[in-house]
Amino acid sequence: MLETRPAPAQPDSFAATAARLKARRQQRRRLTDLLAYAVLIVIALIMLYPFYWTLITSFEPTGNIYEAKILPRAVGIRNYAEMWKGTTVPFWRLILNSLIICTLGVSLTVTLATLAAYPLAKMRFPGRDLIFYAILALMVLPNESGLIVNYITTIKLGLLQQTNPVIDAIRQYMAVVLPGLASIVGLFLLRQAYLGIPLELIEAARIDGASELTIWRRIMLPLATPTIAAFAILEFVAYWNSFLWARIMLPDKNLLPLSAGLLELSGTFSTNSRAVMAGAVITIIPILIVFAFGQKYFLKGLEGAVKG
Amino acid sequence: MTTTPRRVSRREQHRVGGTGAKVTARNTLIAYAFLLPFLILLVIYHTWPVIFGTYLAFTKYNIISPPQWVGLANFRELMADEQFWSGLTNSLKYILIVPVIQIVALLVALLVNRPMKGIGFFRTAFYVPVVTSFAVVGLIWNWMYQQEGPVNAVLGFLGLHRGGSFLNNPATALYAVMFVTLWKGIGYYMVLYLAGLQSISPELEEAATIDGASRPQVFWNITLPGLRPTILVCSLLSTISAIKVFEEIYVMTQGGPAGSTYSALFYTYSRAFQDFQYGLAAAAGIIIAVISIIFGLINFRLTRGGKADA
Repeated sequence: MLETRPAPAQPDSFAATAARLKARRQQRRRLTDLLAYAVLIVIALIMLYPFYWTLITSFEPTGNIYEAKILPRAVGIRNYAEMWKGTTVPFWRLILNSLIICTLGVSLTVTLATLAAYPLAKMRFPGRDLIFYAILALMVLPNESGLIVNYITTIKLGLLQQTNPVIDAIRQYMAVVLPGLASIVGLFLLRQAYLGIPLELIEAARIDGASELTIWRRIMLPLATPTIAAFAILEFVAYWNSFLWARIMLPDKNLLPLSAGLLELSGTFSTNSRAVMAGAVITIIPILIVFAFGQKYFLKGLEGAVKG
Repeated sequence: MTTTPRRVSRREQHRVGGTGAKVTARNTLIAYAFLLPFLILLVIYHTWPVIFGTYLAFTKYNIISPPQWVGLANFRELMADEQFWSGLTNSLKYILIVPVIQIVALLVALLVNRPMKGIGFFRTAFYVPVVTSFAVVGLIWNWMYQQEGPVNAVLGFLGLHRGGSFLNNPATALYAVMFVTLWKGIGYYMVLYLAGLQSISPELEEAATIDGASRPQVFWNITLPGLRPTILVCSLLSTISAIKVFEEIYVMTQGGPAGSTYSALFYTYSRAFQDFQYGLAAAAGIIIAVISIIFGLINFRLTRGGKADA
């Protein structure tokens, strides 16, 4: 009992030193954390304040519109009511257009890429490597005249002809989505995902007499679901946000998607910026919802898109 | 018992074809059936623009009458066009944001790669501008940059010079648009850098720390060299998209005021869709493409050179 004091004196001093070191390291860590938070908060403010400012201003019924503020001067839903009623912008028509364009675009793009990637990853046929490298070259080749030539092609294909309102609408929706349907990035992402699926699985199915279409639907698609989900989210965001092509091409302003329509009408109705702000807020919401639910896939898909 | 014959035949299949079924006429047909819809659209909307666009560059064309071969006339016209040169100059000036955007994105990636509370919030916050449409981003910043707007208010609060409307002033408009590109792009490159950081083995950094390396030493000697491939890809992408800057300008300034934000690609756009000079526009497109390839190669060389030193 008496010995216990002097005997562990050395280890005790070691322990004390270790504790002191640990405390110092912890303190330094806390300090760097604090600094990191400070920097992150400043950058986050710069990133988010424009959105926040637009949100609160869109709720103000009147006042000095461009003024910087932290809280809205007054809160009302007049601007949203105006969007809802379509007095500033044919709001519901634009939403409908966006939904049609997104549904058509995403479903067709994903279908085409999931189909085309299958033989490139898992079948043997003459010309496979040639096709693969030709597509690879297209990805590297610059496509500066894409906008111009695609515009000419769209006209030559007769997609902008005006005959019957219903057929015109269908043709023009197709004209909006067609140039984006063959996604090279999507093809690569999916080929990459398919390559990871064990060949034994496919060959067992072939021996059991399954057709290639069945193998694609029953084996490839389910096993590539995470990649397909990531790709579908990427495509949804792309189609929802697309405005340039539609705005250049569509003769009928009633067929524009929401973001293009908003831009188109922000010029015409510059006197009513608050309603346009409400429209901008509404345009962002679906993206944030999709992003919130699919964030994990989304970021993974983006990484793959650039790495692949 | 039942599995034995199957296993044998599976092995036979392996011997026949490395990746899939036998090459037969029927299988080839099936393979092409899967590929066909994709390939048709690929040819129409990806291959054809390259071919026809190159041809158009040597013609006069306005859609209504057939293209008329004019040789190098379009290129000569471009060389003499002051507007084209100012567009090109602005596109090259835009490369100024490449180092800024890369350094900030890398810094942000390093910060959000730390195991801290609430880091998910910051990652998401930095990514929101990336997923927002250029149409909306342009509208929002048009409002932010107004004379009475928040940007001027913040500058005033910091005791800095309060300008007029940034986008109406030829001296500031290009830089104001550049800032929006920076603001929208940081999150995108941050994600790529995060992926790069995660591919560096943590054991390496730990081992260095145990051997007594300081934080900065670990960063300069392990983290940064490990990130080289990512830095290469990011600065390449960033340079090429700076030269091709278009959407921000289209939405925010339409090339104005007084042509101060006219970019090379905006020149192409206005020649084609405002003046209907498709041949001239295609020629400008080819020049932009060649310049971005050259800058891409320079970028690649520089980064590769850095790698040789390390």
